[in-house]
Amino acid sequence: MGAVRAEFLKVKRSLSWVVVLLLPVALVLVGTVNTVVSGERPEEGWHTLWLRSVVLYGLFPLTVGIGVLASLVWRVEHRGGNWNALMGGPTPALRIVAAKAAVVSALAAAMQGVMLAAVVLAGKLVFALPGLPPGRYVLISAVIAAACVPVAVLQSGLSMLMRSFAAPVAMAFLGAAGAIVLLMLGAGAAASALPYALVGRATQLGTGTFADTGALTLGGAASIAGAAALLTGVLIAASALLLDRTDARA
Amino acid sequence: MIGRAVANEFAKMRGLRVAAVAGTLIACTAGLSLLTAVTAPAFADPAGERSWEPLLASMALAVPLASPVLLAVLASRQVDIEHRGGGWLLSQTSGITPGRLCRIKFAALGCVVSAATALQSLLLIGAGVLLGVAAPVPVGAWAGYTASVAVVNLVLLALHVLVSARVDNQLVGLGLGVLGSVLAATATGLPPWLAHTFPWGYYALATAADYRDGALVMLAPDHSAVAALGAAGAALFLLATALFDRRED
Repeated sequence: MGAVRAEFLKVKRSLSWVVVLLLPVALVLVGTVNTVVSGERPEEGWHTLWLRSVVLYGLFPLTVGIGVLASLVWRVEHRGGNWNALMGGPTPALRIVAAKAAVVSALAAAMQGVMLAAVVLAGKLVFALPGLPPGRYVLISAVIAAACVPVAVLQSGLSMLMRSFAAPVAMAFLGAAGAIVLLMLGAGAAASALPYALVGRATQLGTGTFADTGALTLGGAASIAGAAALLTGVLIAASALLLDRTDARA
Repeated sequence: MIGRAVANEFAKMRGLRVAAVAGTLIACTAGLSLLTAVTAPAFADPAGERSWEPLLASMALAVPLASPVLLAVLASRQVDIEHRGGGWLLSQTSGITPGRLCRIKFAALGCVVSAATALQSLLLIGAGVLLGVAAPVPVGAWAGYTASVAVVNLVLLALHVLVSARVDNQLVGLGLGVLGSVLAATATGLPPWLAHTFPWGYYALATAADYRDGALVMLAPDHSAVAALGAAGAALFLLATALFDRRED
């Protein structure tokens, strides 16, 4: 647990909260402004608002945002003599990898929380929608947060291997573009094997867009969560193996 | 001297895999455009008359989505190495001030971005010919659209070179790129006056073909707004880089 605590301490004073707050709020704002200027009311209430903000969010901003957060978490290790301190320290590679991935996943989950809160706020304040959004959005948010974990592990691994801040972010974007292609072609099964596409599918859950049927079933949600757990295990093991083979550098 | 400094930036690009990032930009824009176009009703119907409008309209969807974030990546990579390697001081001792180094980096990256912008349009035109669009290529519309996108791309590139150079933490530049992509992708739905208020909105103003009342039509975009953005961007970039030279750190 010590490693995880150390990582949370490191991230506390970084600028990560800017991404966590700004990205979801910006997307809900864009969805709201688009609805307002088009002069229409959200016909299906919460569903329309969710569709307009979360599906766009899942197409690439979420993935790229996780990439930025992962680069931020690893940035400090690539600076000064920190890399050699990390390599020379007693913490096993698996624990380092898991701790970094845990922090990025927690930030991604926080981002989803902000997203849900922003949707509720926009629905209440701008459109004066009745009541609270149905509970299904809490379940969908949990599935999205779970689907973010393999992306966080993958991006954390890329940021570990690359000293550049921007290169892993570019790869996240490329992955997101590939995921859009897969989802446009309706390749649902293939989407489960690619973390970027899995998170895209999770954000489309229950909306009927792209490869989604529109119905929210427990089985569908569980299959995404299961695929996420499997991918997370494989990717953590691979990252730890890679870090184990890395050495101090001059 | 300037020529050598620009050549030096091109040499740095090799290690930074700028070609790969530029290739990603071209692949994402051309690939996503083509995919959107061929799934559009006009192309999907085998008996339908294939025309250039779906290709131009799908460019207006893919270009704003992919360009801002990848421009941020390009600028960040080229500038970040100076932060890490003490490059600003090294250049200064050899007579190239930080502001000048930024202008040189912009010139070098600008060549890459302009070439990539031209190439993505050419690829799409080539794909249109191969897919059997019978009508002659609307050269004016394509040239106008490509030139406008190139101007917006260069303005955003200049912005990102400045942000990456000024703020050591590359989170800021890349975060701005991601938000820019979101804004640019949704700007087509905004009223034009609103799209004029931020640089990412100008992609939408350059749109050459779009759906109007359910029908796909060619538009006659007013390129003067984009030209004004280019002029303002150039002036601000020169001013900001001149101020860089007066900074002490």
